[in-house]
Amino acid sequence: MTIARLSLRRAVRRRSLAVDVGAGLNLVGALIKWWALAFLFPTAIALGYGESPWPFLVAGVAAGTFGVALERATRGKERAGAREGFLVVSLVWLFVAFFGSLPYLLSGEDQLANPVDALFESMSGFTTTGSSVLTDIEGLSRSLAMWRQFTQWLGGMGIIVLFLAILPRLRVGGRQALFKTEAPGPELATFPATIRETAQRFIGLYVGLTVAEIAVLSLFAWTGIDERMSFFDAVAHAFTTIPTGGFSPDGRSLEEFGAASQWAIVPFMILGGTSFALLYLGIVRRRPVSFLRDDEFRVYLFLLSAASLLVLVDVATEEIASGEAAVRQAVFNTVSIFTTTGYANADFNQWTALTTFVLLGGMIVSASAGSTAGGIKLVRHVLIAKLLRREVHQTIHPELVAPVRLNGAPVDERALRAIVVFAFLYVGIVAAGALVILVDSARADVAVTPFQALAAAATTIASVGPGFGFAGPMGSFDPFSDVSKGAMITLMWLGRLEIIPVAVLFSRQYWRA
Amino acid sequence: MSVALRGLASAGVKIFIIGAGQVGTTIVESLHKDAEHELTVIDLDRSRLDALSYHFDVRAIEGDGASRATLVEHGARGADLFIACTSRDEINIISGLLARNICPRAKTIVRTSNVEYLDVWRERVLEFDHMVSSEEETAHAISRSIGVPAAKMTDVFAEGQVQIVELDVDPAPAGTPAIAANVSVQDAALKAARKKVERRRRVIGVPLRDADLPAQSRVAGIIRGGREILPRGEEAVQPGDRIIVIGSPESAREWSGLMARGTRRVDDVVIFGAGRAGVAAARLLLRQGISVRLLESNPVRAAEVAAHLPQARVLVATGIDPDFLDRERIGETGAAVFTMRDDGKNLYAAMLAKLHGAPLTIAVAHEHVSVDVFEQAGVEVAIDPRSLTAEEIVRFAHDPRTRQVAMLEQDRYEVLDITVRSESELVDRPFRDLPMTGALIGAIIRNGSAIFPHSEDRLQPGDRVIIFTESSRVQEVERAL
Repeated sequence: MTIARLSLRRAVRRRSLAVDVGAGLNLVGALIKWWALAFLFPTAIALGYGESPWPFLVAGVAAGTFGVALERATRGKERAGAREGFLVVSLVWLFVAFFGSLPYLLSGEDQLANPVDALFESMSGFTTTGSSVLTDIEGLSRSLAMWRQFTQWLGGMGIIVLFLAILPRLRVGGRQALFKTEAPGPELATFPATIRETAQRFIGLYVGLTVAEIAVLSLFAWTGIDERMSFFDAVAHAFTTIPTGGFSPDGRSLEEFGAASQWAIVPFMILGGTSFALLYLGIVRRRPVSFLRDDEFRVYLFLLSAASLLVLVDVATEEIASGEAAVRQAVFNTVSIFTTTGYANADFNQWTALTTFVLLGGMIVSASAGSTAGGIKLVRHVLIAKLLRREVHQTIHPELVAPVRLNGAPVDERALRAIVVFAFLYVGIVAAGALVILVDSARADVAVTPFQALAAAATTIASVGPGFGFAGPMGSFDPFSDVSKGAMITLMWLGRLEIIPVAVLFSRQYWRA
Repeated sequence: MSVALRGLASAGVKIFIIGAGQVGTTIVESLHKDAEHELTVIDLDRSRLDALSYHFDVRAIEGDGASRATLVEHGARGADLFIACTSRDEINIISGLLARNICPRAKTIVRTSNVEYLDVWRERVLEFDHMVSSEEETAHAISRSIGVPAAKMTDVFAEGQVQIVELDVDPAPAGTPAIAANVSVQDAALKAARKKVERRRRVIGVPLRDADLPAQSRVAGIIRGGREILPRGEEAVQPGDRIIVIGSPESAREWSGLMARGTRRVDDVVIFGAGRAGVAAARLLLRQGISVRLLESNPVRAAEVAAHLPQARVLVATGIDPDFLDRERIGETGAAVFTMRDDGKNLYAAMLAKLHGAPLTIAVAHEHVSVDVFEQAGVEVAIDPRSLTAEEIVRFAHDPRTRQVAMLEQDRYEVLDITVRSESELVDRPFRDLPMTGALIGAIIRNGSAIFPHSEDRLQPGDRVIIFTESSRVQEVERAL
């Protein structure tokens, strides 16, 4: 303990270091310490179902102790600023995934006995990805299954945003930086409210939507509209719909649930993929016009409809399903992939190339910025398209000054540059990830086509969930080798934090004055 | 001051003018003619006041017009009209606010160059009786000139129902085609040109009473060789004349088409200089559905303007680069407007644009003398924002019955909008019997609609009349009606 403290201090005191690592770690410790309370929920579930609460208690105590220890070791350094934000956010998400995997290991569940598998499942949960290495999901204990769902609900809310809304300690400087680092989507406008207010509004909406979905699905369960649905399933699915997560306690995802439940989940997925700032304006402030006025939302609805229609053409012509079932399958799976949720109500893996390509496109296009969805985010695509159009105009009129506008307001040129760079970086990382998976799979003798490798990389970085091939919606990521899984864990982590905060850590300039 | 003296002084209309710059001077120039007006001018600059009091009989006071003490000390409490027209918005507003407090019954007129203050005033947050913006006056003048492309000067009255235009008649003899007999001209264009020539023949050189003039219009004045000729029935419009026409907006456009070569409807405009005046003009033109290109040499300002005017196309350019003008086809535009700060630059750029083929050039002249220079050089329309502002202020300051005043030919002529009293001697006499006194009634506004009178028409009490007259006869006309 003392040795650790001394060596830490020495590291902090290194003259050339521009980042106050101690202060950063101090904040990480404080966050993990409070976050450990999250383990009380699965403990309660375990006690309720008469299962062993120990995996959760031990993991909770471990996380709490670690947090307290880290905080103590770096005492007197409570002044994390904007610069430490990148380090704090990156580390918090790593530690959260790590401690979140402990219950899987401690429960003695055979499917997750490999630490890499447990970490994969945990990271997939917290980043709201929804990819799974499980082959027999129904085989999990109820408490473990609910923990898996709960990790997505926690992750979708954001770890930092939760504490920004609750903990007064975080009201010191650097909050903006912390918030922006964790919040998905490009930085386009200054916040009209304080960070604390924004965080509280976000969480209020998030909890509200979750409760609404639980209510709807339980209603179906109790009235017998959906005989397969139970209260447990209602909560479990609400926990993974709003954060666009995609975990299901059922191995066949939503396939065996009633049509009513499937239809009911569609609007909630769409809401989960809508900017929460817009939802706040439209629903809480009762200004529904703002939905129609929003550039990104209009494109979002248009893409969802157009893609659903394309998939419907495929479903109908291939005679996969007919009538209401055809429409339901086309709409449900398309919305699920575009919003980066990752549910399925049919094994679209078996459908033709048309569906496959539309859905792979959806993984790259993804949903709105400021929502719980992952991926590049629609607004970036919209702005890049506008940038392209301006480029054409400026080629015709070299002296033209034309600001790129979003919802009528000009977008800062620097923000535009950041968006283009992000998109390139994103595509580059997907390609690199796909290459690693492909080469490693060849080495480890796992049958993966280049397209499936690409899909696996795209689905994990965009936090969608299912891939193609054996990793399809009804399949599992289990056959991948540990190296490939490690690459995918990294992709999920990068994707959730939108690359830049992590990229910053690998820059020499970050660490030096 | 003795009681008797104060009583004497209060007999006249007390007018306070803050600012003795170009606007202030123009206002003094037109208000001092009335013997009843008692003018007080306040300015910080001694030399300006000296220049002013050399020409006019006014109380010239050196001091701060935005100082309560100064205003009270010099008798602002008794003011009937308070005009704040310095070049600085904030001074004018403070001065006007003080006036509202010191002399609540006085009418206050405040000049501003910021259109935003104007909006605030319209929302009645600033309680002045009138607020005038040079930029907006300029923008309106530009827009009017573009609506009637051949006009030297145009102005609208009676909520746009009556328009007054000053036109130069094409000096080519009436018989020659306006478009030279060019072999390559297409049939349709040739036919149109022939038709126009035919029409010109029935207007130019024909005595007015027989001429086929555009309907709903009257020739109010003819200026030939610098002298005004009263447009009696036997008089005729000759090539090279400058004529003043009062009529409906449609007839104004018709006149403009007749008098100038190859006039067409302007549907796109290039504005050189994205200053406040340029942007105000752009905004107004865009609202009329005219497409606007804005040229601005300062990239920062250009970006700012581009952010505010999504429909306009903003280009970073000086406007004096021939390559650029060629590449962007500036010569193809309907009208080129020059609103840059520097008169010399405006003139140069206008000449260059003309060389590239711009059919109509409109330039803002910041110095009074530039108006003549521009016209001499061939700029179709020269606009002087300061006299426009002064004019607008004088309009308001005039006889309360007189709604609007336009000044033509450097204040030699004025156009008045007066409501006829019932006791006027002119009421109920047919037009042909009215005495010709160097004033001409161009239009009558009766029950809200405009009438362009013929010899049989009679004036009725309560009519609003639009009258063209020499400046020196304004009071005479006002008394007669």
